[in-house]
Amino acid sequence: MSGKLVPEINDVTREYWEGTALGELRLRTCLSCDAKFRFNHGWCPQCGSAELGMEATSGKGTVTNYTVIHVPPYEAYAAEVPYALVLVELDEGVRMMANIVDCDPASVGIGMRVEVTFEERGPVMLPQFRPSN
Amino acid sequence: MADVTIAASFELKPGRYPDKSGHDLLRDIIKGALQAWPVGPKDIDGLLVTPSGQAGGAGIDAYIHDKIISEMGIRPTFAETLNAGGATFPMMVHRAAMAIADGRANAVLCISAGKFLKISAGGGEAAKMISEPDLEAPYGTFIPGLYALIASEFMHKRGITKRDLARVAVAERQWALRNPDARMHGAGAIAIEDVLASRPIAWPFNFLDCSIPSEGGGAVLVTRGDLGRKWARQPAYVLGYGEAHPRGTISSPGSLIETGAVQSGAEAFRRAGLSPSDIDVAQLYDAFTSTPLLLLENLKFVDEGGSGEFVQGGGMDPGGTMPVNTYGGLISYGHTGDASGMSVLIEGVRQVMGEAGERQVARADRGLVHCYGGMMFDHVTLILGRES
Ligand SMILES: [Zn+2]
Repeated sequence: MSGKLVPEINDVTREYWEGTALGELRLRTCLSCDAKFRFNHGWCPQCGSAELGMEATSGKGTVTNYTVIHVPPYEAYAAEVPYALVLVELDEGVRMMANIVDCDPASVGIGMRVEVTFEERGPVMLPQFRPSN
Repeated sequence: MADVTIAASFELKPGRYPDKSGHDLLRDIIKGALQAWPVGPKDIDGLLVTPSGQAGGAGIDAYIHDKIISEMGIRPTFAETLNAGGATFPMMVHRAAMAIADGRANAVLCISAGKFLKISAGGGEAAKMISEPDLEAPYGTFIPGLYALIASEFMHKRGITKRDLARVAVAERQWALRNPDARMHGAGAIAIEDVLASRPIAWPFNFLDCSIPSEGGGAVLVTRGDLGRKWARQPAYVLGYGEAHPRGTISSPGSLIETGAVQSGAEAFRRAGLSPSDIDVAQLYDAFTSTPLLLLENLKFVDEGGSGEFVQGGGMDPGGTMPVNTYGGLISYGHTGDASGMSVLIEGVRQVMGEAGERQVARADRGLVHCYGGMMFDHVTLILGRES
């Protein structure tokens, strides 16, 4: 174990992590108003409905915000620096945080097209992104 | 707006206080304030305190107001432990002014002390506290890195450069050289090249783009207008305030550079019946060099993308068209952890009260204070003036 933080699998998040274990990045969908959002609660942030579904995304998106971290926030990340921390806007219109892997962090920038890949992290497959095309 | 003033302020010199807890520092602030101010415990009937210990790793005391009530021997009709991160301090003035306007209190003591971990540990532990535990924290969030995400969008969309960010640190150092309490008072002037040559922390921030972890704290006394006029030669009148909380985490939907300052600033100006051109001096919370520039744009002091030209032209410097962070900012004065925004507020108060010593700006009829909490999530704007 690396000592890096590991997400918790619980009733709200289980379907999401079941998806990533299958190589699928999923989003919550609202069955009442068609909103799409991340999995972190049991209701729709647009209309408040608790009638929710889940669907697979294309796994593709664009970097909207980025940084390259040179100082590790804790010991577990000491071997990782410098690493790219980004926000990705999925093609489905939802934003999420990730690291950009499989490339020189200095090459990461706003507008970069990326695709999902998965990192084994404790009990979950953690979504990460790498440059696409 | 009701007739409300800030009648007094008191601050510890920022530094390292290894033998003192946050509570110990609060006691030092109370003792110092009671000696410096023309008021006693009997005059105080309101109390707002921040929960010390957030960045100190010693646990948060959510009942600190009760301990202060007991130790001071006061019997307030308005009291709480209040936290919205860095935004808490102008928020305290806002809350106190509302309580006074509502007849619930006459003189409200607003007080805060801050401890701070070592920078690397503080950056990681504090980032965990404000990150989504499953969807953000596993990616190695780090306080400078989260601000950097905001800065990258700002630079990309508004054409702001690393040299513009560095120029903020240059300006704030110029102010710190005029403030004997600033951590960097004796450190000498710096140039843009010094900032760019300092070690990288999280792109676009180098070491000299970051605030200085420190410990300290302070207090202000918010009062009914007639009490302010009795207790202070020149009280600072509360002319307007605004508050907005449009997001709670960094990966929430929406642009990171249309911050809540757009809304809180507009509300404060509307209440004050003023516009940005009426402001003589501004204190803008600056955890990193990018944030005063973004706030100058969000508060409409300059056009979108105009903050780079403003800072490069010396606009925020001593003698500039609108001096900013005249005490040295958190970047050259010191960032006192839980109490950081208290320094920002107190400098705004001191400039308007004419108590800023060597760094007093020539004209300070109206001053603006803007602080945010979290990663620019919670926003409060406060406008102070020499006349009601
Ligand atoms: Zn819905």
